[in-house]
Amino acid sequence: MTTPLAWKTSRLRRLASVGGSVLTVAGSLLVLLIVTFGLNALSPIDPALAVAGDHASQSTLAQTRRELGLDQPLPVQFLLYLGRLAHGDWGTSRSTGQPVLGDLARALPATLELSTLALLLATGFGVILGLGAASRPGGAIDGISRFLALVGSSIPIFWLGLVLMALFYARLHWLGGPGRLDGVFQYTVPLTTGFLLIDSIRSGQEGAVANAVSHLALPVLVLMLHALAKISRLTRSSALEELSKEYVTFARSKGVNQRRILFYHVVPNIRGAIITTTALAYVELLEGAVLTETIFAWPGLGRYLATALFAADSPAILGATLVLGAAFILINAAVDALVQLLDPRAK
Amino acid sequence: MHKFIAFSVFALTLGVAATFAVTPPKVLVVAQSIEDAVSFDPAEGYELTTVQTFNNVYQRLVQSNPNNPTQIVPALAASWKLGADGKSLTFTLKTGAAFASGNPVRPEDVIFSLSRAVKLNKAPAFILNSLGWTADNVDSFLVRTDAKSVTLSWPAKVGASFVLNLLTAPIASIVDQVTVASHEQSGDQGNGWLKTASAGSGSFVIHSYVPHDSLVLDANPKSPAGAPILQSVILRNVADPASRRLLVEQGDADLARDLGADQIAALNGKAGISVLAVASAQQDYIILNAASTTNPDLKNPALWQALRYLVDYDGIANKLLKGQAKVHQAFLPDGFPGALNDNPFKLDVTKAKSILAKAGLTNVRIALSVFNQPPFSDIAQSLQSTFAQAGVTLDLQPAITSEVYSKIRSRTYEASILYWIPDYFDAHSNAQAFAFNRDDSVHNVAWRAGWLTPELSDKTDAAVAEKDPAVRAKLYGAIQKSVQESSPFIFAFQATDQVVLRSNVKGYIQGINADQVYFAGVSK
Repeated sequence: MTTPLAWKTSRLRRLASVGGSVLTVAGSLLVLLIVTFGLNALSPIDPALAVAGDHASQSTLAQTRRELGLDQPLPVQFLLYLGRLAHGDWGTSRSTGQPVLGDLARALPATLELSTLALLLATGFGVILGLGAASRPGGAIDGISRFLALVGSSIPIFWLGLVLMALFYARLHWLGGPGRLDGVFQYTVPLTTGFLLIDSIRSGQEGAVANAVSHLALPVLVLMLHALAKISRLTRSSALEELSKEYVTFARSKGVNQRRILFYHVVPNIRGAIITTTALAYVELLEGAVLTETIFAWPGLGRYLATALFAADSPAILGATLVLGAAFILINAAVDALVQLLDPRAK
Repeated sequence: MHKFIAFSVFALTLGVAATFAVTPPKVLVVAQSIEDAVSFDPAEGYELTTVQTFNNVYQRLVQSNPNNPTQIVPALAASWKLGADGKSLTFTLKTGAAFASGNPVRPEDVIFSLSRAVKLNKAPAFILNSLGWTADNVDSFLVRTDAKSVTLSWPAKVGASFVLNLLTAPIASIVDQVTVASHEQSGDQGNGWLKTASAGSGSFVIHSYVPHDSLVLDANPKSPAGAPILQSVILRNVADPASRRLLVEQGDADLARDLGADQIAALNGKAGISVLAVASAQQDYIILNAASTTNPDLKNPALWQALRYLVDYDGIANKLLKGQAKVHQAFLPDGFPGALNDNPFKLDVTKAKSILAKAGLTNVRIALSVFNQPPFSDIAQSLQSTFAQAGVTLDLQPAITSEVYSKIRSRTYEASILYWIPDYFDAHSNAQAFAFNRDDSVHNVAWRAGWLTPELSDKTDAAVAEKDPAVRAKLYGAIQKSVQESSPFIFAFQATDQVVLRSNVKGYIQGINADQVYFAGVSK
């Protein structure tokens, strides 16, 4: 029987543990910001020059430096940034001249839409191909999976993107080209959520959804192939390892068919590894889609961060790093929870 | 396997849904990178994208004739008169001229715009500073004469023809004071709002600007410049040149900028596409840092002279730049009044060797900071090989653009290949940058090269003060000759801007200076 006191202690303990997690997350983000700020301070680029340009007069340059707060010592600059951040002010990007929060609110949905779709498809195909390949190593599916993994991991993404675009967009006219929509729709579909699939449905315009899908198809395909390589190869090797275990041989000897063995015995045992790989692939897609976003004229987070880096635009770099760091922590937490939930031993 | 079939069917359905695209009628879609844009406020914007927009959104008192840039024609001013002392101009405003908001254009707007541009002191402010206008004194030089006219005077020793040229620069754009003032926030003179909006009287207004995505301009039918034929112009941000090429080839863009020489070669002669080659005022030059603390050889004029004979001008222009540049060896670009168009230098290794030997220069080693992108990286490799033929070792140090500029501006480089675009359509713009450094007080390009040249500085001052345009042109000819003969600058190429257009696009005009882009006459 639980006494009221014991109940209280357990609640306190839980609260303390939640509080501890929040502190850990905040601490990790702070360290991330400090490191990013420090690295940016080492950059050989003069941020004031990146704003005022090469022709500006000394007095303009000095004024720009003052306006950007660059005349303050570095620790002061950082503390001022933190103070503003605590009040919800993420600062103004020097390369776009716009509030960083607004820039991120535009760039993040574009990237999320692309990478989430790519990840879902990559996971679906990757797991099926991996299992298929493991169930008959050296077979046709193994061959296909190996070929796709080779394409996804070894062909440079910008080259693959351009070749696919030259074929499906320029030659065959099957799919949309660079940009998120054709010019006809681009300025008639209002961006409310930032996710074009949702916005184009909401706009109710004829053909807008099909157009959005046709523009998504190629960048999603390119990113999917990249993620697919990892997921399918990992699924294959984990499944092969499981298939060689004694309990599988035992199940086989009892006449259980291959499909049942795979889905009822192997998958539950390897799903932890698959989920972890998938989560890592997701983080990589979120931050690493720069080249894909450049080729496909996709105004996403990767491209935003890349241009900010070239201008030593610290508010934009810190803002984007914060979002990516938070996404990384969130995804990791979600994976931990999911793995624990699915692991019968944890119950 | 079923999923594969399902995916293929899905892809095929899409194929049917997607048709060959054509841009909407009366809308010009331009594919270019707009990631350089910092601000669409004419008092601040100084990037290619913003500067190319200002002529379409704002008017100035006077403008260069789009078809003949050396001629100054009325814009918001109907006429002007030179003051008796030669140090002031009185402009009479065009009757009935109004801003896109409907507000009339008044002398107060002229005074507000010019005073605001000087006081904000943003990137292009130095252009107006050359009239002697500063934040403290500018208001005393701008006077409302009557309800329709305004008098501008200037303390600097410069002639009226120079002042008129300078007033064609984007920073001299006239903004609508009433509208701008209504958007002022904490004393910013409306700068925050104007970064993404417009308050002018040009042929277009800014409909929307989304950084890294698009700039949309809508027609302003009430413009004193006349109503444009198009309804809208859409600048789509396409950062990758190969993607820009695909878009214009497919008809999803009507105009594409900044394609590589090979891409232009592939598009030339294709049905439905035309390539417009426009002489540009952009010049590529080699800069040597005579004030380098790491390389004392660089202050030796004999080295400057020898290196002039070690550039394979023709080879680079014909093989690397393929139609995107021509050889030009003076600091005023061909097309500017007074430009020196003879090119006295050729690759001559023997001559270079003898100059080096005479000066006792051996084992010369120079670090070259260079942009890590073509054509600069290609030019750098060519220089490395030709310099080596005379025993000069060139260490290439590639870096991104902003990093190279940071080094140049802090004089922590040895040599570099840079490009230069004049700030306004007058010879003084370049003379002031390259042939003026009396005492290291102004950090212009001559200072960055560590080059003190009091004698040429006097000549530059005299040229800008000269009233007679023909005499002025002659004076600039002599200054260019001096810079060509002995200076730490080696002018090598003048760019040709190749703009790719769909064949149905008519009436697009682009001039020699960076800001001279006109969409008003375009039809399709």
